[in-house]
Amino acid sequence: MSRRTAGGIALAAVAALAVAGCASGPIGQDTPQSSGQSFVSGSGTNLYKTGSRPLAPDISGTTLTGQHLSLASYRGSVVVLNFWGSWCGPCRAEAPDLAALATHFRSRGVRFLGIDIRDDPTGADAFDKTFQVTYPSLNDPGDELALDFRGTVPPAGIPTTLVIDRSGRIAARVVGSVSYNGLKALITPVAAEHPVTTGGAAR
Amino acid sequence: MSGAPTGGGSRGTGAGGTASPTVDPRQAEFPADAPGLDGAASSAGGAGPGDEAGPADGAVFADGAAPAPAAPGLGGARLGPVGWLRWGWRQLTSMRTALILLFLLAIASVPGSVLPQEGVDPAAVSQYYAAHPSLAPILNRLSLFSVFAAPWFAAIYLLLFLSLAGCVLPRTFRLVGAARQQPPRAPRRLARLPMAASYVTPLPPDEALSSAGRLLGGKRFRLRTGDGWVSAEKGYLREVGNLLFHIALLALLASVGIGGIFGYKANRLLIAGQSFANTPTALDVFRPGRLVSPSELQPFSVALQSFSATYVSSGPQVDEPETFNAALRYSAAPGSPTHGFVLRVNHPLTVDNVSVYLIGHGYAPEFKVTDGAGAVVFNGPVPFIPVEQAGLTSEGVVKVPDAAPSQLGFAGVFLPTAADQNGQLVSEFPAAQNPRVSLVSYAGNLGLNSGQSQSVYQLDLAGMHRLSIAPRPLAVGQSMTLPNGNGKITFTGYRQWISLAITYDPGQLPALISGIMALAGLILSFMVRRRRVFVRATAAPGGHTVVAVGGLARSDAAGGFESEFAELARELRTAHDGSSPVPVPAEPTAHGTTESVSSDNDQSLSIREGE
Repeated sequence: MSRRTAGGIALAAVAALAVAGCASGPIGQDTPQSSGQSFVSGSGTNLYKTGSRPLAPDISGTTLTGQHLSLASYRGSVVVLNFWGSWCGPCRAEAPDLAALATHFRSRGVRFLGIDIRDDPTGADAFDKTFQVTYPSLNDPGDELALDFRGTVPPAGIPTTLVIDRSGRIAARVVGSVSYNGLKALITPVAAEHPVTTGGAAR
Repeated sequence: MSGAPTGGGSRGTGAGGTASPTVDPRQAEFPADAPGLDGAASSAGGAGPGDEAGPADGAVFADGAAPAPAAPGLGGARLGPVGWLRWGWRQLTSMRTALILLFLLAIASVPGSVLPQEGVDPAAVSQYYAAHPSLAPILNRLSLFSVFAAPWFAAIYLLLFLSLAGCVLPRTFRLVGAARQQPPRAPRRLARLPMAASYVTPLPPDEALSSAGRLLGGKRFRLRTGDGWVSAEKGYLREVGNLLFHIALLALLASVGIGGIFGYKANRLLIAGQSFANTPTALDVFRPGRLVSPSELQPFSVALQSFSATYVSSGPQVDEPETFNAALRYSAAPGSPTHGFVLRVNHPLTVDNVSVYLIGHGYAPEFKVTDGAGAVVFNGPVPFIPVEQAGLTSEGVVKVPDAAPSQLGFAGVFLPTAADQNGQLVSEFPAAQNPRVSLVSYAGNLGLNSGQSQSVYQLDLAGMHRLSIAPRPLAVGQSMTLPNGNGKITFTGYRQWISLAITYDPGQLPALISGIMALAGLILSFMVRRRRVFVRATAAPGGHTVVAVGGLARSDAAGGFESEFAELARELRTAHDGSSPVPVPAEPTAHGTTESVSSDNDQSLSIREGE
């Protein structure tokens, strides 16, 4: 192959990269205003090994029932953080499983916390009643809480579920609906980990 | 045959080794009437393979019009895979192909402006689906709702990119050569040149030539000397301009690439009173470039405080919008101070190098739904999408998935200024002067709980049945009680919404700079002409020397060289005459002749201008 041809191929590669950049479609997510024609369901699971787990931001806000709540107050517990909205189909599908898992893991020091995205509190309340969700949810009308996760593991779509270990680090992320068994398998090993007493240090 | 190509020889067929067997006009000795714009214009599409001819000595102007791409004539009929590759590459990088691709790109963009686009206005696409249920899926399969992300569009773009880069890159190297090129040898018969003069001088030929060299060198001509001749050339700035144009073109391509890789586009519909932050979950549509990390978007947030639109209320342009003003408050990052901004059409908000454009607006009627069990299960605004612009009649759906005993759905029409027109309810004016909403009610299964993602602008009626209550226009504050103990819905008010296009294109500024540079280079290459002056001195009987001066300039550029040449010829003549001494240039010329002009002879003189 002549140098010319090789150069051409290299150029083609660069150009392909550029065009691929232009052409990449929307990421899988569900938003109130999207036309909903694209959605990636539950396949996007990321696991983070101990030692390379990103530290979750210390978020705080007002719950749907008007209480002030901060993530830091859960330190020492495993936290399952679920970004959801009452308008979101996949969220409604996974809600019964989340509610059941919250009950299942309660005695093992696992707390569930919702972050209600782009929702009106009335609809969110009705959602919690429908699915008998007993854990609290922070209301995030201006996306400040979602924004706090920038630079670490931002919710890539709704729903997104994070499993946060006892030292406040993100151990797993699921984008899309979770299943009962799938999420259970993610929580169980994290719940079995011993709490780290030295604050933010990763083992 | 003055000025006609003389088919000058076969030397210097450059790197590719694929010299066309036919006569290449570029190798002609004096293509004084060579067509085309030297370099700049023709190069944009790419000179053909014949361009390999390069800066051969004999070519007076080594560039010029691109000939038809030559066949890959590597020894006739037999063509190996490499030969075919090379041939394909030649075809791809030819100017003709580039022009075809450019034209195709323009045509391919047409559906992007005729049909609603997913990336620009997803709501409009949904509307189109509703209006053309059988056609829309076909169009969607052809990617006509996302033209600029379509594979076939990418293919055209990719090929054009390749074609341009493949043409411009080698040309750039060639232009560097052209800019550094020495003047050609002086032709034998200067009298045949478009401009010529001759006279007789008492100076010996050597002295006449060296003095001519000094004079021309002093005028910033590039010189070359030979046996009995001096040739001089000026106007290399043209090549510099040409080079600038080509480099800027490459930079422009790179900028577009950078924008595509590191930039992103997003859309967001924002109801008055709402706020959002620039994070993926808050965006309705998010199209990141290949190397955009969703975790590192610029963390600004925007709140819409109010929106006002005014419309022409009378005259021929009645109902047309006059002004749109969206009062925003924004902050560049969490914890940063917030600023006010009035967003208008074509007056985007720029924060952290991201531009936020106002691209649409509409109404979001507010509803309160009490279910059959007496619980308030819905209370908020629902964006409706305008289906016509004159009266802003808007359509939308309300989904109440948590109502008991069964889920409720409403398909509604919002009329900003409702009026009865022959028994039909229409909106007469886009401003909300007499807002009414009319709802068709459904109960059953919305299909949401199965986990399917749905459009918020459409009801999936598969599991729903229509409630037996005729729709009637509701005014603000009015309710409609649903049959069979399904509760009631109240039209509590309305708000306005705006839709925003958020674009981040880090290639924008480089592209602008490249564009300006390309223009500057183009202008330079059009304004400056390459022009050549040749001097030959021959000893004549009687101790005299005959000096012939010839001049050549590109004929396609504007005139002016004639007078410059005449002036030069006059100065040369004067120098050699000695009747009016020419100041000797302060510095010796490049080839270092240091003889001074002996200037004490009177001389007979004949001059003839351009034969």
